[in-house]
Amino acid sequence: MSQNRKVGNIIATILKYAVLIFGAVFTILPFVWMISSSLKTPTELVQIPPSLFPETPQWSNYQEAWKAAPFARYFVNTLIVTFCTTCGVLVTTVLSAFAFSRLNFPGKKTVFSLFLATLMIPGEMLIITNYETIINLKWIDSYKAMIIPWISSAFYIYLLTRFFMQVPESLYLAAKVDKCSDFKYMIKIMVPMNKQAIFSIAILNIISSWNAFLWPLLVTNSQEMRVLSNGLVRFQTEAGSSTELIMAASCMLVMPIIIIYLFLRKYIIEGVTRSGLKG
Amino acid sequence: MDKKSFKGYLYLLPSIIIMLAFTIYPLIRAIIMSFLGDYSIINHGYSSIGFDNYKALFADPDFALSLRNTSIYVICVVPASIILSLIIAVLINSCNKTKAFFQTVYFLPYVTSVIAIGIVWRWMFNSNYGLINYFLGFFGIDPIPWLNRPEYAMPALIIFAIWKSMAFNILIFLAGLQTIPEDLYRAARIDSTPKLRVFTRITVPQLAPMIVYSSVIGMIGAFKVYNEVFSLFQGKAGPANKAMTIVYYIYDKFYNSYKYGVAAAGSVVLFIIILVMTQIQLRVTGEKKKK
Amino acid sequence: MKLKKIGASILAMAMATSMLAGCGQASTEAPAETQPTEAVETPAAEASTATEEAAPASEAKNIEATEVTFWHAMNGNLEAVLTEITDEFNNSNEYGIKVTLVNQGAYGDLQTKLQASAAADALPDLAQAYNNWLTPYLDKIVKLDDFVANDFDNWDDVVEAYRDECSEFGFIHAVPYNKSTYVLFYNKTMFDELGISVPETWADVEAAAKTVYDAKGISFIGYDDLAGVVEASLHQDGADYVDATGALFNDEKGLETFTYLSNLYNNEYARLVGEDGYFSNVISNQQIASYVGSSAGVSYIKAEGWELGVAPLPGNVKKAANMAGTNIVMFAQDSNKQLAAWEYLKYITSTEAMTKWAVGTGYLPIRQSAYETAEYKTYMEENICAAACYEQAKDFFFSPTFEASNDIRSTVPSTVEQLVYDKADAQTWLDTIVEAVNAQY
Repeated sequence: MSQNRKVGNIIATILKYAVLIFGAVFTILPFVWMISSSLKTPTELVQIPPSLFPETPQWSNYQEAWKAAPFARYFVNTLIVTFCTTCGVLVTTVLSAFAFSRLNFPGKKTVFSLFLATLMIPGEMLIITNYETIINLKWIDSYKAMIIPWISSAFYIYLLTRFFMQVPESLYLAAKVDKCSDFKYMIKIMVPMNKQAIFSIAILNIISSWNAFLWPLLVTNSQEMRVLSNGLVRFQTEAGSSTELIMAASCMLVMPIIIIYLFLRKYIIEGVTRSGLKG
Repeated sequence: MDKKSFKGYLYLLPSIIIMLAFTIYPLIRAIIMSFLGDYSIINHGYSSIGFDNYKALFADPDFALSLRNTSIYVICVVPASIILSLIIAVLINSCNKTKAFFQTVYFLPYVTSVIAIGIVWRWMFNSNYGLINYFLGFFGIDPIPWLNRPEYAMPALIIFAIWKSMAFNILIFLAGLQTIPEDLYRAARIDSTPKLRVFTRITVPQLAPMIVYSSVIGMIGAFKVYNEVFSLFQGKAGPANKAMTIVYYIYDKFYNSYKYGVAAAGSVVLFIIILVMTQIQLRVTGEKKKK
Repeated sequence: MKLKKIGASILAMAMATSMLAGCGQASTEAPAETQPTEAVETPAAEASTATEEAAPASEAKNIEATEVTFWHAMNGNLEAVLTEITDEFNNSNEYGIKVTLVNQGAYGDLQTKLQASAAADALPDLAQAYNNWLTPYLDKIVKLDDFVANDFDNWDDVVEAYRDECSEFGFIHAVPYNKSTYVLFYNKTMFDELGISVPETWADVEAAAKTVYDAKGISFIGYDDLAGVVEASLHQDGADYVDATGALFNDEKGLETFTYLSNLYNNEYARLVGEDGYFSNVISNQQIASYVGSSAGVSYIKAEGWELGVAPLPGNVKKAANMAGTNIVMFAQDSNKQLAAWEYLKYITSTEAMTKWAVGTGYLPIRQSAYETAEYKTYMEENICAAACYEQAKDFFFSPTFEASNDIRSTVPSTVEQLVYDKADAQTWLDTIVEAVNAQY
């Protein structure tokens, strides 16, 4: 009986890894190709049949892509905008999610539905009016213009509210008995208990502000204020595009995010284990 | 207002200010615009007030096509992505040493800009030397002209979208799995409950809020699909425009045809569709919970 | 309940204010319209006094040092050359004018940004633009007629088709700048091997296509721009395309044109570009013998193991070739900035700077005199693409702009694609395209 179960377990484990590895290959393949194309010559790119790896890696593609725009400056701007936006998002999201999940006030449901409804608007429709607003506020060509419109997101508020609701109500009532203030409860209990979710929100937001393209292009006018993703279009014209350079620039765009992700993830996992398991 | 409600709104204040300025206000303008015939965003002139834009919209076969395509897209992408992500997330969560590795790998599709990864997928779908046809060849399937024939445009788009959307769902589910109390599983282990049963009786119900979230967000996002189309078909809406989606239609009317009113009407229609669908979805999942 | 009421009143207020804002802007519309015309008169007056004094005309001009912004979509090497020429102007002009170049991404991004800026009344002093972008904000453009008449070095030196294109709205709205044209790129090695000479007529194309298809099993020709080929082919057949009232080719000539095109596609003598995006990739792989595309795309063709040839487009009853590339329009509001911007436009379109631009980028000179400089002649000897473009300069036509022209441009390619998939006959081509075009009005 236990022998059977052991065999069953081994088969299950093998199957599990088979599925995971197959999926991982499928997931990672486009990235492998992205990196390998960034190192190819234009001729190698369109050759039939294609080669998975370049004959001699063309590191000069990176040099050329780097030269096409002031990427160093773009990088700094991207960091500033991403950092500020993400901090802003975390603050507004935690506050709002807490209000929706724990506080009682009239009209809560209506406001919550309104928030949810804002998600359903196609953003393309809002861009021109928002651009006019930025011009009227005289925010054009400033970090403010790239940051402030994005520091509140119904998308994340909705997500975090769902996580906060998972936390047993009894904890809140117990804290109330202990005369713990709402704000303190939020900071001391709710936030640490939902670290993983808050981290997820942070990383999702970092990525979306990192890759934001059209809005930064619209609200900035000078090279000094542009961001990394604006550099990607430098290699496209109406008559063709230099795919190998786009790929090189994309790799430069993605790498920092992956590093931030790995770093943050490690930090968060440590934090979770240190605070100990609850419940 | 009493003190209690004041407090609630104090917490919400930052979000409400930003939303009023950058979402609600432009939305109201868009709604007004949708009722003005031949509206110009430049000099704010218009020729009529009424339903002209809506009439034009529903008389346009391209809009009908975009409605159809978007519905197909939503119906295929959202459930497939959630089911696959759920399986992968649970499998990853059951690993010990390799968990971090798989978590990172499966998250990668979310990281890159759609512009760049769209180019890569174009290559993967290439009929002559794309990897997808190469793999299909193992199963004796003839090369499929994914991006060259109208009838394959939507399937190609859907495959790309599922790949792209899974990363987000896996991340959310993994975060959700962390919040399931360990003692529930411990109890199941003591009772030696079969794994599939643990999955359906503990994991899925405990993850329900995240699954509802993912399906609602996924559906809203799927109704608004645009970037995926644009990048996969190089700025067009597929061969003979047969992969036209609602937002692509709106965008095209607004930025290329300068039919601002029609575009606004299109976005109002889209808004209403999503609103109705989300309400239905929330009702259905809400009822299930009660049972 | 209480809150709902408050919410409703806030909504109503917001609605009211936005309506008011709309009204306010609408009422200022009238003076805004008159502003540019007023502004145009100032330089005219000044310039006319300048011409009276003849020789030291430029001395008499009174331009204060100012900054002029110029939005463009030139990337890579193109941007480098533009920057170099602009720096030269900034350093050499006697008025202390400083032109600031602002890269706005690709053409599509620039188009979006101009549109948004027109709505927000925040247009730059100068910008590159295609004519069909401008219809929504035509009244914000500075009319250049007086500048050209009084203070431009020989407008007649500018290639006629460009002059026509820049005055198609009834006044001179732009100065041509980065111009290209569609040419026939072909695989010379393959042509030589099969004994094909460069096709000059439709009949030549059909004959050569048969030879290539029978020998190699590949298509002979492809078109990067399907709307462009329909328009060009009609012109080549002596037919008209469209005007502000509708399609003009629903006749014998139109049928003849579509007989030619449908036969090419139905015999697989021609193919769609499909997943490859641009034929430059396809010809690089020798998967097609020739294609029609923009001369600006020549650098994307990788001729390794074969030799590239470039020729003017084949014609039928006559020759006709599409033009491409943008012109520069002026939005500057105050008269001093207008004068300063005009100084810059004069500089960059001068024979010398234009030659430098053309040689550096591969764009075509806008001036006849630039074609005749020793420098450009040497360039043409080495550069087959430039030579082919020059040869067909007399056959240029431009696509007219009117309210429906954007929609026509975007609807024709997908219509043609569908016809090719359906292997439709010539009459179906004609009927379907006429219908698709007329549906846009």
